Amino acid sequence: MTTTKSDVLLHTPGHVKHDGHNLTGFIIFLCSESIIFFAFFVGYGVLKLTAPTWYPDGVSGIAVREPLINTIILVSSSFVIYFAERYLHKKNYWGFRIVWLVTMLMGSYFVYGQYIEWSELSFSLSSGVFGSLFYLLTGFHGLHVITGILLMGLMLIRSFIPGNYDSGEMGVESVSLFWHFVDVIWIILFVLIYVWQ
Amino acid sequence: MTITNYDERILKSNHPIPGAPNNWRRFFGFNTDAKVIGIQYIVTALVFLLLGGLLGMLIRGELITPPSDLFDPTVYNGLYTMHGTVMLFLFLFPILSGLTNLLVPPMIGAPDMAFPKLNALAFWLVPVFSIVLLTSFFVPGGPASSGWWSYPPVSIQNPLGHFLNGQMLWIVAIGLSGVSSIMGAINFVTTIIKMRAPGMGFFKMPIFIWTVLAAQILQLLGLPALTGGAVMLFFDLNFGTSFFNPETGGDPVLFQHFFWFYSHPAVYVMVLPVFGIFSELFPTYSRKPLFGYKFVAVASFGITILSLVVWVHHMFYTGTPMWMRNLFMFTTMLIAVPTGVKVFAWIATLWGGNLRLNTPMLFCLGGLFNFIFGGITGVMLATVPIDIHVGNTYFVVAHFHYIIFNTIAFGIFAGIYHWFPKFTGRMFYEGLGKIHFTLTFIGATLNWLPLHWAGLLGMPRRVASYDPEFAIWNVIASIGAFMLGVASIPFILNMVSSWSRGKKAPPNPWNAIGLEWLLPSPPPHENFEDDIPTVLNEPYNYGLNKPFVLDEEFYISKALNDS
Amino acid sequence: MNFKDNINLKISLIFGITFAVFIDLILSKLMANWSYSWLPVQASKAAPYVDNLFAFETGIGTFIFLGCSGVIGWVLLFNRAPKYDESYGEPIEGNIKLEIVWTLVPLFLVIAIAIYSTKVNTTLQNLGEKIKYDSQNELPIYLDQKQDSTDTLIDVIARQWNWEFKYPEGFSSSELHIPINKKVYFRLISKDVIHGFYIPAFRLKQDIIPGSIISYSLTPTREGTYRLRDSMFSGAYFSQNQTNVIVESNDSYQAWIKKTVKKVPVNGLNRAGLLYEKRLEKGDKGWATIPPSPPPIVNDPGDPDSPHDG
Repeated sequence: MTTTKSDVLLHTPGHVKHDGHNLTGFIIFLCSESIIFFAFFVGYGVLKLTAPTWYPDGVSGIAVREPLINTIILVSSSFVIYFAERYLHKKNYWGFRIVWLVTMLMGSYFVYGQYIEWSELSFSLSSGVFGSLFYLLTGFHGLHVITGILLMGLMLIRSFIPGNYDSGEMGVESVSLFWHFVDVIWIILFVLIYVWQ
Repeated sequence: MTITNYDERILKSNHPIPGAPNNWRRFFGFNTDAKVIGIQYIVTALVFLLLGGLLGMLIRGELITPPSDLFDPTVYNGLYTMHGTVMLFLFLFPILSGLTNLLVPPMIGAPDMAFPKLNALAFWLVPVFSIVLLTSFFVPGGPASSGWWSYPPVSIQNPLGHFLNGQMLWIVAIGLSGVSSIMGAINFVTTIIKMRAPGMGFFKMPIFIWTVLAAQILQLLGLPALTGGAVMLFFDLNFGTSFFNPETGGDPVLFQHFFWFYSHPAVYVMVLPVFGIFSELFPTYSRKPLFGYKFVAVASFGITILSLVVWVHHMFYTGTPMWMRNLFMFTTMLIAVPTGVKVFAWIATLWGGNLRLNTPMLFCLGGLFNFIFGGITGVMLATVPIDIHVGNTYFVVAHFHYIIFNTIAFGIFAGIYHWFPKFTGRMFYEGLGKIHFTLTFIGATLNWLPLHWAGLLGMPRRVASYDPEFAIWNVIASIGAFMLGVASIPFILNMVSSWSRGKKAPPNPWNAIGLEWLLPSPPPHENFEDDIPTVLNEPYNYGLNKPFVLDEEFYISKALNDS
Repeated sequence: MNFKDNINLKISLIFGITFAVFIDLILSKLMANWSYSWLPVQASKAAPYVDNLFAFETGIGTFIFLGCSGVIGWVLLFNRAPKYDESYGEPIEGNIKLEIVWTLVPLFLVIAIAIYSTKVNTTLQNLGEKIKYDSQNELPIYLDQKQDSTDTLIDVIARQWNWEFKYPEGFSSSELHIPINKKVYFRLISKDVIHGFYIPAFRLKQDIIPGSIISYSLTPTREGTYRLRDSMFSGAYFSQNQTNVIVESNDSYQAWIKKTVKKVPVNGLNRAGLLYEKRLEKGDKGWATIPPSPPPIVNDPGDPDSPHDG
């Protein structure tokens, strides 16, 4: 049977566009990362329901007002980042950069607010079950917010490189996805720690 | 030998070039070729197999007599803890990652993995966390000594009070191992989902790819729970938090839930690829199709799903309520069903076959035989009243070694021998292989079969000394262990001398069906490069009139010509 | 192949398989019977139930193992390829009926075993409540709701690395004495890390969790001396954390109580302490360990060298 290489579908050229898989890989990574947080959430729930002593001495709860303001800013930043993406999609690079920067500032405010809250608390990481869980959860989350801001900074710098978006906007999409993830985690955290008291 | 007629770039090339001498240095650097990374993983893992084996022999040296007369008990505890940790995290997971790296791209017709740089990074974390783990032998106080489970409160007691202690290094090493594994899992899952050859739908994939996909999904879902538990343990150990410390209000059993939520699926992560190896090798060496391909494929995912809901069977006697014990006993026993489907399929594949009993096939047969036994003791352990008697005794130790070594390691050896010609380009020495198999099978049986009875009679595990009535079982077991140590000699000799001086291997020495066998041995840099075949059927149609790929003859002759 | 040959082949096949299955069944039954001797003496009410379940599973397991190995062995004997022969075997891809059979039969078998085991579980229901108490506070008085005020309640205190048994009559002992054929209740208490309360002759094991007390009960049915071993790894001298359980007639038990109450308290059994002292004498060589707990002060330090039955 004679065949020529030009037969369609018989022989397929290789060299798949490797970039095409980055988003898939990143989504898989986020699913995995969310399970660490779920593990912490389960730990929080179980210990809250079963520990003989929950609060350390002298503590009967924590303030909700400032964290609520921080929450509103963080959650709003998810909408802001969405608009930044829209600007990029329409190739309005300066629009993208400014709105992206606003998102970074809102995230930074959140981190600052968290720091202020931490410095005003009367209990520490080693103050029993509640202290341990509080600082672990908010600290771990805060690390992710900081990471998100740094990644956004990286994307901001890269937006100045000519030809950066020729093969797609996967980097910005991934970071944006990460930011939404950080927000959802915070909402659950907020309900667990601040609402369920 | 003069090599002056070769261009410098060929001699320093990152990948093999047919006809030119091999640049062995490429195996020691940051190389993004999955075939190089695979070998790097495998060789590293084999070094740690020897280390873990040495630790095992030290354990059996202590246990050959009832009193604790070889080491101080604290040293014994560190030795058995590190034996388990080294064997699992420095040998088993890396070697499976290595085999997966070697096999997945060629088997599905992909040029490489989806994220080659991430792949290399995942490998290079292995020497890093290995060094972290092994330096714990040299810190004041010694290495972690609370078992590979590191249950609190005993693991957070930190007798010397130092920040840098063996247990802390253990947690850091395990954490890094988890990061490396998750990187690998993201890579494998993306590659398998997105980079298969044209025509290769899910139900035309080799079973090995099915089992790898199942195993890596388990890694993604389970590892983060262990990471979470390990982070909390770290904080309890070094920062005085109260997650698991009962003195300050924590719950030690909570750690067990986190630990086992991953560590039970972890054993399926280890055994599933080996099931895949069995499913590839039995058809090849019986010259028959795999019996019930679709059922075997789907059973992989049955096992995956069930394995996520059985973890409490490690905690039947730790104070769990009766309804929980009954529930998890039921789910654990259910796993026997899809596993049985696979076992019966392999036996049915053998039936009526034309068996070739070379080294890979012998290891598969031995592995299958041992697995049937180990699976049965597994169902016994799933039975709560029986587990209450034999849990935490040598019955459990015997059971899991029957699975981990007598099945999984056997399967790994089978895979290494089977694909050795493909990826090194050399044939191994069959005589040495048979000696390796014989010594390993006898040694492994002597080592772990008697220990079932020690456990039934009430010998606890992890003890440095024991009542004299258990002596006979331990003497036989220790003889088996030393035999296993000796068995590694023909294996290492074979690997080294075959790779350097073995006969040149043809593209398809076993006359097997599979995309990897349509490539030269070793395969070129990007496997099929610009010419990926179109797959028509699954790779098990021995003796059937169902072609594997379109234009198969072309690829066969191309592989022969390019060799 | 003509019609007669086909019938003969089928008959011999059916006869052969039936014969093999029959032999397998006999061997499995023998194995199941033999399995009782692999276990320690039966010294509690629970033991026969556990042993019967074990024998049942051994029998089923043997049947499956011999069946599968028999087929593999047959194939190894009669289906080996001659050297250099790579011709194909029978090109069978599968058989849906067979798949269904070997999925459903194990499924029903596993469900049957689970139901039987659940019944045994219920019979063995020894575990009372597990409650958590804050270790900063005093040990609360707690009784199992099924317990009568006349029932024996013994506190089992596990430490790194010794056992102490506190009796309601106000004394303590390093060895556990209990009367035969009477249900005895325990409060399992750990002062430091997780320990395991394991008496192989009783077939019972329960981990002792620090920060909680666990109520537990059992009924011994055979006089003798049995080993109690710590089964959950608890640190350096974990293997030394063992003692004896003495089951005796009620008269003998009451006599022991009367005698022991009057005894002057002494240091209890503490092998770990002795080994640790030896280690210190030799220069504290070895890897890190916390020092053992001081020996409990008991009225009866027991006789650790007396032989045990299981």
